[in-house]
Amino acid sequence: MRRLIASVFAGALLFAGFGANAEEEVRFWFHFDNPDNPISQLVSKFEQENPGIKIKAENIPWNTYYEKLNTSIIGGNPPDVAMVKLFALPQLLEMGALHPLDDHIASWDGKADIQDELWELNRASDGKNYYMPLQYVVLYLYYRKDLFDQHGVKVPTNREEFLEAAKKLTLDTNNDGRIDVYGFGMRGAKGGHDHWATFVLPNGADINKEGGLLTPEAIAANQWFIDLHRVHKVFPPSAPNDGFKEITGGFKAGRTAMTIHHIGSSAGMVEALGDKVSAAPVPQGTQGAWTAFGDESTAVFSASKVKDAAFKWVAFLSSGDNNVEFNKASGQLPVTKSGSAEWTLHEKRFVDATVASLPFARTLPAKPQTSEFVGSSWPTNMQRALLGEISAEEMLRNIDNLYFK
Amino acid sequence: MGMTPRRYRRRLPVLPYVLLSPVVLVTLVIIFYPMLQAIWMSVHDYIIWKPQDIRFNAFAHFVTAFSDEVFWISLWHTAIWISLTVSLQLALGFAAAILLNQDFPWRALARGLIIIPWALPSVVIGLMWSWVYDPNYGVLNDFMLRFGLLTQSMPWLANPDTALYAIILTLTWQGFPFFAVMILAGLQAIPSSYYEAAELDGASRRQQFWHITLPSLKGVLVTAVLLRIIWVANSIDVIYVMTSGGPGYATHTLPLYAFLRTYTAMDFGYGSALAVLFTLMLLGVVVLYLRRAGRDVT
Repeated sequence: MRRLIASVFAGALLFAGFGANAEEEVRFWFHFDNPDNPISQLVSKFEQENPGIKIKAENIPWNTYYEKLNTSIIGGNPPDVAMVKLFALPQLLEMGALHPLDDHIASWDGKADIQDELWELNRASDGKNYYMPLQYVVLYLYYRKDLFDQHGVKVPTNREEFLEAAKKLTLDTNNDGRIDVYGFGMRGAKGGHDHWATFVLPNGADINKEGGLLTPEAIAANQWFIDLHRVHKVFPPSAPNDGFKEITGGFKAGRTAMTIHHIGSSAGMVEALGDKVSAAPVPQGTQGAWTAFGDESTAVFSASKVKDAAFKWVAFLSSGDNNVEFNKASGQLPVTKSGSAEWTLHEKRFVDATVASLPFARTLPAKPQTSEFVGSSWPTNMQRALLGEISAEEMLRNIDNLYFK
Repeated sequence: MGMTPRRYRRRLPVLPYVLLSPVVLVTLVIIFYPMLQAIWMSVHDYIIWKPQDIRFNAFAHFVTAFSDEVFWISLWHTAIWISLTVSLQLALGFAAAILLNQDFPWRALARGLIIIPWALPSVVIGLMWSWVYDPNYGVLNDFMLRFGLLTQSMPWLANPDTALYAIILTLTWQGFPFFAVMILAGLQAIPSSYYEAAELDGASRRQQFWHITLPSLKGVLVTAVLLRIIWVANSIDVIYVMTSGGPGYATHTLPLYAFLRTYTAMDFGYGSALAVLFTLMLLGVVVLYLRRAGRDVT
């Protein structure tokens, strides 16, 4: 009996050993809203080109993506490769979860084809590159060209023009005493920090420095933004709770004349509004402009036992046609120069607005607290300020405390 | 021959434990272990992205909680949440049960249909009712505007004065079938001879209700209310889907606050402490329920 058990055990070990030698398995986590995504085609293409490596791709729902990723790291069983955004980089570094890619990238022949700015934007605070760019977007202003023309409003380039445009386009179109169109569709729920940052940060507010948000200019800028809702009433009344589907839905339905989002929603906007929708870079502040760089990269985890195979997959996704395929499905922009050159998926006016915005596209502070800023601190404080429960200064003080206390 | 009874006696006490052990083992692993872990985390600084900084802090989180404004706001909302939701569900469920206990055509169909809200997943209910309340397209605003009850459409979920109550109404709708079904079963268990006897003695319908129906339902009602309090207290899914606790803190309840601290701030220590505190508060209700459940068995 004992001998039987021993031989079964030995057999199992042998088998497992063979398995490991013959084939390396790379576990890949990604999130894709579009169920019709190209991952399985890309996986089989990769497996054909790289015999001996198997990709086990798992689509993780976005709402709990980082919760799952963080717990898998703490539990000691993270994937080998995962799709990641820049705001998560500081926390992942703090946890020692990532494997630096610099050596792999140095000897990778696709390196020169990646847009140069993306290497810079993706660099970690310790000077290393842990992230391989996968797709990107830049936020810009969507506006209703027809309404602008009809009411003789010009596309705003600064805050004053923006306020004037928003006021003129807050309209009671059928004279029943109720407002039917609001000037700006503001996102007050999670994810709306980009709207706020565009109007507050480039006006003497420095979120990277202790006390940088508490200058008189910063407080005035925040008050100006809150007044758009409380005094000028150019946001829909539901703005404090509005998220992605409300701001894009409201704009498509003609309930708002402007909003801020990226090229990923342009196909839907055009489908709903045709030529009536156009795009421009966001209005400037007193010290230049600020818009959000929206990113998605892939990273290799330090716990991975198959790092070389993992990098091959990472590099595969960010090169040539593969990256183009990926972005056709995600609706964002390819990270390669070759892919961008012949990009035809989006209408030109949206690509132009994106490219024109790249020079002032920024990211939030590369600090671990940014996750909490995005996830709960900003939405809660913004909502309370929009509702008049706290002042513009209190809101900024709470954010300053989050980052520096 | 004398051996058999003794051996039998020695074996007997073991068998029940053997039979129980799988259940006990599973309960220990999936309920008690996480519970102990939550208690352990609640007395530690435990922020998940700072694995180097996990250290014992005694009761610091509990002290923080008592001076945390959001804790008190959430606690107050939890009290409103539980008391209003459960009593509204009870009232609506009671009315539905009495209606369904009457004789009318298609009664079986009506009894089946009433279960629908209870059978729908909470996320579906949350999304459905967010659209009902939507200020731009919502059917509620449309109705009220048409009938002149409102002059300007109302962002029910974005207004801090109405958001919590709007969600309470949603949860009432979701949960009343539970009461309806429980009470209906209770109603049908009352022997009709009681009513016949009362009628002979000249009791009015109202007297029959107060002196026969209500006392006979007492057991069902108390059990259902206790169970419901525990469930409603812990239910965060509908709130999370509809407002995520916003605007501001307007729809924060204590379990939701614990969840948000744990998963958006990744502060497992403080989040666990909040959860432990709330568990202690609920324990009173749980004990009451267990006592009743125990009494029913014996």
